[in-house]
Amino acid sequence: MSSLRIGFASGVRHAADYLRILGDDPRVELVAVTEEPDAPECMRAASRAAAETAGVPYREAPDALAEAGAVDVVVVCAEPTRHARLALAALGAGAHVLVDKPLATTLADADALVAAAERAGRVCAVVNRTHAPALRRARAWVDAGHIGLPRHLDLEFFASGAHFGTSVERPELVVDRELSGGGELMNFLGYLADAVHHLTGLATREVHAFAAPLFLPTHVEAGVEDAAVVTLALERGVTATITLGRIPYAPGGTPTTSSIRLLGSHGHAVVDDEQPAVTRFGADGTTTSAPDAGQVALEAYLRHVVDALVAGGVPDYTAVDARAAVAVIDAAYRSLETGDVADVR
Amino acid sequence: MTLPVAVAVVGTGDFARQHLLALASIPEVEVRWVAGTDLARATALSALVPGARPTTDVAGAVTDPAVEAVDVVTATPGHAPWTIAAGRAGKHVHVEKPAALSLADLDEMVAGTEGNGVDGTGTTLMVGQTVRFQPAVTALAAAAHAGQIGDPRLLHVTWYTGHAWPMGWRAWHLDPTLSGGHPVHNGTHIIDLATWLLGAPPVEVFARGFPTFAPDMPIPDSFHVQARTADGALATLELCYALRRRGDMLRRVVLVGTEGTLRHSTEEEPGLVSDAAKPGPVSLEGALRLQLAHWIDVVRGRAEAVVKTAEVRGALAAALAAQRSLETGRRVHVSEIEGYDGERSSAARAGGAA
Repeated sequence: MSSLRIGFASGVRHAADYLRILGDDPRVELVAVTEEPDAPECMRAASRAAAETAGVPYREAPDALAEAGAVDVVVVCAEPTRHARLALAALGAGAHVLVDKPLATTLADADALVAAAERAGRVCAVVNRTHAPALRRARAWVDAGHIGLPRHLDLEFFASGAHFGTSVERPELVVDRELSGGGELMNFLGYLADAVHHLTGLATREVHAFAAPLFLPTHVEAGVEDAAVVTLALERGVTATITLGRIPYAPGGTPTTSSIRLLGSHGHAVVDDEQPAVTRFGADGTTTSAPDAGQVALEAYLRHVVDALVAGGVPDYTAVDARAAVAVIDAAYRSLETGDVADVR
Repeated sequence: MTLPVAVAVVGTGDFARQHLLALASIPEVEVRWVAGTDLARATALSALVPGARPTTDVAGAVTDPAVEAVDVVTATPGHAPWTIAAGRAGKHVHVEKPAALSLADLDEMVAGTEGNGVDGTGTTLMVGQTVRFQPAVTALAAAAHAGQIGDPRLLHVTWYTGHAWPMGWRAWHLDPTLSGGHPVHNGTHIIDLATWLLGAPPVEVFARGFPTFAPDMPIPDSFHVQARTADGALATLELCYALRRRGDMLRRVVLVGTEGTLRHSTEEEPGLVSDAAKPGPVSLEGALRLQLAHWIDVVRGRAEAVVKTAEVRGALAAALAAQRSLETGRRVHVSEIEGYDGERSSAARAGGAA
């Protein structure tokens, strides 16, 4: 396969970024953005707009893409509660799939996707941040033995609420459970669960979570969490703490800020997605220029997916990995329900 | 000319030594006694402060009519009896953290000092929550309490320090019956910090811990507590005493409010890098002296204690709950702690928001 024909099944949320990045890859041919004819008008309008911006045809018949053999890859970029259904259809029709995160909003759907990909012999890739340079740097230190045995990880991930109203995210796609499947735990916890697994290679066994709508009117009104504190118990006695949220003012200069502290038996390490950064002092105050880690990680992963599929291989992060992240999210929500520790299923 | 405050210091351990050095630097203080069970140690420590005398007659020292104020710096089990004895003798008391191993003990300590008079005319009791006097923390709290970030709702404290347990297996800190366990012994620092910065005590906690170097260590050298406060705010509080290199420190505080975020990290502080010495971060500098100087202001009636006993009670209940969570592996509500009283918790909230 020397080039990839890629179609989008729905084009809401982050579709504009994905279309831009994939469209810039000379090995990719963007075939169409499609939407289900019975999808709500707002979704159809958003998908149509994404297609127009990218200069790609828009159609209202998603399954037809794969069934007709018109594409090699279907990018599922709907609201989260529609991910599983659209991805299953595409896999069933014989296409490779790239699903926006989260892979699915229920563990059962995640399991179904893993099984479907295996049955079809197709790749089910999932958007993630494990290609973030800071995370890769920390992993290299772990692999080299520089910190000895990892004992504990502390992860912080904040999105700035100041960007919420103007970001590509339509707020209801994050706060309306019917569309999002949950609040910011559903939205962000997977990134952190992925990072913990990427650094340690260990599975998470238990999760405890506190969460609440603490800051943003959108979340308070919808009754979904905008912030959470989570602890993970991994295999071999390793622990992790996670502090996450969409907060009014994240402590950084990019839309999301994240940092990891890693305690080992023989050393410790800190990595921050916003480093290195340059600070400018001027009449308009202080501004810090740092790469937008979310974009950097996304571009790296999408390039990797294209690399892998063009070469007939499998990307380093697929539905199998994403299923583990969904399992952590699932346990976090069960912890909130029961008010105690929840086993990861 | 005002007479100096005559102080009896109870305790002869390493922290008593640090207290004595700090007290010696406050001109208004006259250390009259260094009292403890080990005369040799009391003698050695009293030599640090001109005029101080060693004694093993602790009861005599804390009831000495010439003594106005007592600084209790013993191992934690000694806090309650000596605080109560001093309070009943009409002395103002400063007691190291954690103030007590139970809420009942703390209540007796408060009753024996603040409550030990007619119409609330008892003496003062100040608990040595040193972290509040660290310059960076004082500044964080001042900004938060002044409303600069709106309503503080989410706190993330990372506190890692390079250290090995002193005294090896002989250390009393390693015995949970004497220290309360690590969430009580050192966790009091971060739990009090959370109570102060968030303006309300934790009411639900979950804790996990791990030993870094010695698997058989009876208490974890490192642990974390996650908490929900009475006002619904959330916190991640991490404490690690096991960074590889002695003297290393990483302390990072992120406090998120409804209208802004405060952050301080020792990572951003310049300092000395030399084989000769490794001083602590400037953001922590001089805290104990500031704390004890503030105590003298309290004793003299020039200031209200920054550390209020109602807040201490709320934080101690949370620390005891965290230790129970560590032991049981489940979330613990502070109402499970013997002697917990919701009304007093509300008092802590009011005090913390001041």
